[in-house]
Amino acid sequence: MTGNFDWAYLFEISLTGIAGGGLYALAALAFVMVYKATRVVNIAIGELLMVGAYLFFTFASMFALPLWLAIPAAVLGTGLLGAVIERTMIRPLLGEPPISVFMVTVGLASVLVGLVEMIWTADQRRLPDFMPTQPIMVGDAFLAPKVFWGAVIAIVFIAAVLVVFRFWRGGVALRATASDQAAAYSVGINVPRVFSLAWVASAMLAAISGIIVGSIGGISSSMGVFGLSVLVVVIVGGLDSVLGALVGGILIGLIEALAGAYLGGEYKLLATFIVLVAVLLVRPYGLFGTHEIERL
Amino acid sequence: MRIGTLKETYIADAALFDSRTQKVWLAVGAALLVLFPFMGSDYWLYLACLVSINVASATGLNILTGYTGLVSLGQAAFMGLGAYTVAVLETKVGTPFVLNLLAGGFVAMLGGIVVGIPSLRVKGLYLAIATIAASFIAHFIFANWKFTGGTGGLSVPPAKLFGMALDTSFRLYWLIVPVTLLMLLGAANLFRTRVGRAFIAIRDRDISAEVLGIPLLRYKLLSFGLSSFYAGVAGGLWAYFFRVVTPESFPLLMSIFFLAAIIVGGMGSILGGILGAVFMTMVPELLKLVVGLLPGGAELTVFLSPVRTVIFGLLIIGFLVFEPHGLAEVWRRIRRFFHLWPFRN
Amino acid sequence: MDTPHTSLQRRHLLLGAAGAAALTSPLSVLAQSGEDIVIGGSIPLTGVFAFAGVGINAGIGDYVKMVNDAGGIKGRKLKYVPEDTGYKVDVSVAAYKKITSQNKVHLYYGDSTGFSKTINPELDRAGTTLMAGASFASELNDPAKYPNQFLVGPDYTEMFGILLKHIAKEKPGAKVAFVYSDSEFGRDPIEKSEAAAKALGLSVPIKIMTPAGSVDVSTEVIKLRRAAPDYTIFHGYILAPIPEFITQGKQQGMTSKWMGTFWTMDSSTVMKMGEAADGFMGVMPYRYYYDTEKAPMLEKIRALRPEYQSTAYIQGFLAAMLFTESAKRTLDAGKPLDGKNLKAALNSIKDFDTGGLIGVPITISGNSIPVGRVYRADMKAQKMVAASDWIKL
Repeated sequence: MTGNFDWAYLFEISLTGIAGGGLYALAALAFVMVYKATRVVNIAIGELLMVGAYLFFTFASMFALPLWLAIPAAVLGTGLLGAVIERTMIRPLLGEPPISVFMVTVGLASVLVGLVEMIWTADQRRLPDFMPTQPIMVGDAFLAPKVFWGAVIAIVFIAAVLVVFRFWRGGVALRATASDQAAAYSVGINVPRVFSLAWVASAMLAAISGIIVGSIGGISSSMGVFGLSVLVVVIVGGLDSVLGALVGGILIGLIEALAGAYLGGEYKLLATFIVLVAVLLVRPYGLFGTHEIERL
Repeated sequence: MRIGTLKETYIADAALFDSRTQKVWLAVGAALLVLFPFMGSDYWLYLACLVSINVASATGLNILTGYTGLVSLGQAAFMGLGAYTVAVLETKVGTPFVLNLLAGGFVAMLGGIVVGIPSLRVKGLYLAIATIAASFIAHFIFANWKFTGGTGGLSVPPAKLFGMALDTSFRLYWLIVPVTLLMLLGAANLFRTRVGRAFIAIRDRDISAEVLGIPLLRYKLLSFGLSSFYAGVAGGLWAYFFRVVTPESFPLLMSIFFLAAIIVGGMGSILGGILGAVFMTMVPELLKLVVGLLPGGAELTVFLSPVRTVIFGLLIIGFLVFEPHGLAEVWRRIRRFFHLWPFRN
Repeated sequence: MDTPHTSLQRRHLLLGAAGAAALTSPLSVLAQSGEDIVIGGSIPLTGVFAFAGVGINAGIGDYVKMVNDAGGIKGRKLKYVPEDTGYKVDVSVAAYKKITSQNKVHLYYGDSTGFSKTINPELDRAGTTLMAGASFASELNDPAKYPNQFLVGPDYTEMFGILLKHIAKEKPGAKVAFVYSDSEFGRDPIEKSEAAAKALGLSVPIKIMTPAGSVDVSTEVIKLRRAAPDYTIFHGYILAPIPEFITQGKQQGMTSKWMGTFWTMDSSTVMKMGEAADGFMGVMPYRYYYDTEKAPMLEKIRALRPEYQSTAYIQGFLAAMLFTESAKRTLDAGKPLDGKNLKAALNSIKDFDTGGLIGVPITISGNSIPVGRVYRADMKAQKMVAASDWIKL
């Protein structure tokens, strides 16, 4: 008998972890969007997130625009950046081995960090508060409002994307391009346009994620390290699965919270990476990813 | 296209340096390397040692990524293993530095083999991500194990050669550069053997290589082991050079640096590894020089660090988009031009 | 005819002697002034520490200019040679190598704990330089291991000590939680400070370490709330995640008082924390730029620079002041300027008046200056207000 196990504590921690996982899920969604359409592993997803947050900061704090202008402006700006990236760096490498494109995104991450430092300096800053501040109480368990609302927004977007992929022509075109480019071309789908669309959508989702993450933890030029946790989420969930992004995000959020609560703060990243290694060994394509068959 | 290079035996054909011009240039290069420390200032010696260490580590990564096609973002972690081994041995046991360097390489090699075990199940990008995970796990161990000094790290006393402490850049040059040259020679020779050819076969199409009878797991592990050995020795040299080893000394960014170095230099060629490491180490210096020469330079120095980051990224992207075979290819083109001159290409 | 000759001779002699005297006196002046006294600096003008680096750079530069305008130290001018490091250790080391290969450097300012530790063996081997820096790491506060270095203020353990002393006075037997970052900076003072707290009769119900670069601290706040501390000391951060901790903590009904250490306590940083940080306290060894108490040096700074200067500026300014004082005392004793003598001169500083930058006269017997005052944030006035006397450890 281990005595009174503190169930309330476990519940509270788990709740926070799951809600935090919602944030991961949103960023993972941005990642999956690009992978699903163009088979590119975009390690610069964390940096795109950062750009979105900084653009929001510029519009909301520096130009003092009202929220309903600043948020769309930041999101559209990042979307534009996504289109530019796709056109200049990804399109020329279309036939190259995937590792080359991966390295391009590594270079891109550096470029974005440097640009942010040049324009806004490397100082840590805070975003203006815009989310409701009433703490959410589930019974006795407390949930931070920012985290809660962030998770709600994430789930709304994931649901929207799932619907879009199912029903909208553009979404179907995206899935078609992902499974077979040649066939998609032959039925008249404008494949290059689909690619651009995927990158723009991904960048916009990353921007929304960045705004939420930034309003919780502040912004700085090293925000991109969030992308590493997102990488774990998509590996666990499956690189091309939207549902996997949601489930993976919640799972990783939960594991991180439990590790942090019961083991200590320094174990958080270790726990996620051990989960990563375990998943890679046992089920490399993730929980919901499509199994890729290598053909000679 | 070189004329007058008739070979009469297989051994002569497979030789590393076959033409007289090559041998003459090598002799000149060797002479320059020997004379350099007497001519250069302390700062240039410091740079030379740093470049040398980077060349050694980049060559190791080239074996793994350039020749065997296994992308790894864990090179810094293996260097860390080597550096910590040397630090621990030097502070707690006091064995001679040659032994410590070899031990460092060996420990790193073990680490490399462990990380390489999943490489049969996990390919390409997934393997790269697994190496990132290994990097973090290594960092965690370094930072939280009392034996390795925790976040404070370990201070390394200087290497001792017959009682003389190697504590200046001048003295360390004579340790670091010969070791690097030996490692380069080893790597170049590796690719004349069947092991090297097996690596190249694995890179090109590993399923076909297996069909040809190359045991995949064994050779992949060998590749990981060799490249981590190189990283471990480079890490050990690093420990003697900087004399302090902390968990922050080998961040993921350093692994990215080495990967960028071999991309820029040219994957799959020894010369590429050398050129890439030299280029990437010297770019920040060149940048400082350029900024110093520009008018209004004093204000521009504020931008030096972020511009460095941007240029680093742009170099990776630029070389991948425009010159995927790197500086080595550029060098080959120049050589070809001079071989064919005055004929048109 | 002799007399005019001798008088001519004598005149020549006199002229010659006068000429020789005229020639030698500038020579003797030259022999006295000698070379410049060089202060080298690895300064983080860019990167995550840039806000501090820019201030430090300005502080050292201004003090050097002040001294040179007043004639230098015994006629010798100070020369300040900084290089940007982006707060990266390898760049710092490279900058050190570059500056020392181009100048004879007597005094050096380092940008980080990592750099100070890395360069220490080189400093000891060369023996030519006395070094100070932006780091307040307790590890450096060891005259045996770091004989050529000193801290421009209390080390982190001493900062905790000052806060704990204040807490013990305000509320004996209080519960004090430590929240720190997973880095060398963060971990440095924790163990010793826990012992110090116990020695003062305080209890430490929880120590929370946050991973570097963590965004969501909700789980940590839950842990903190359950420990119900009376005081929470943050260390190892500049800004994030402190405001998040305070906001969430208050939302959850925590009544803890919130405190921080040096690098969090710059006025502009605290003001960025927003309304949540009203009443945020912390230890600061220097006066703030806008302090109205009598401080002649502060007035000089305000005359030089009409806009707000950060505490990093004051740190750099004070470092240069201590450098100058050490050099002056070494030269006064007729000793050559090398590491050992400069350090000995530094350690001879007793009851030294910093012109009000530090509120009490200071004595540097080891490697640090264990003095500080607790300040509190007044959000309405957008200023940091003194909340205690100057505490000496």
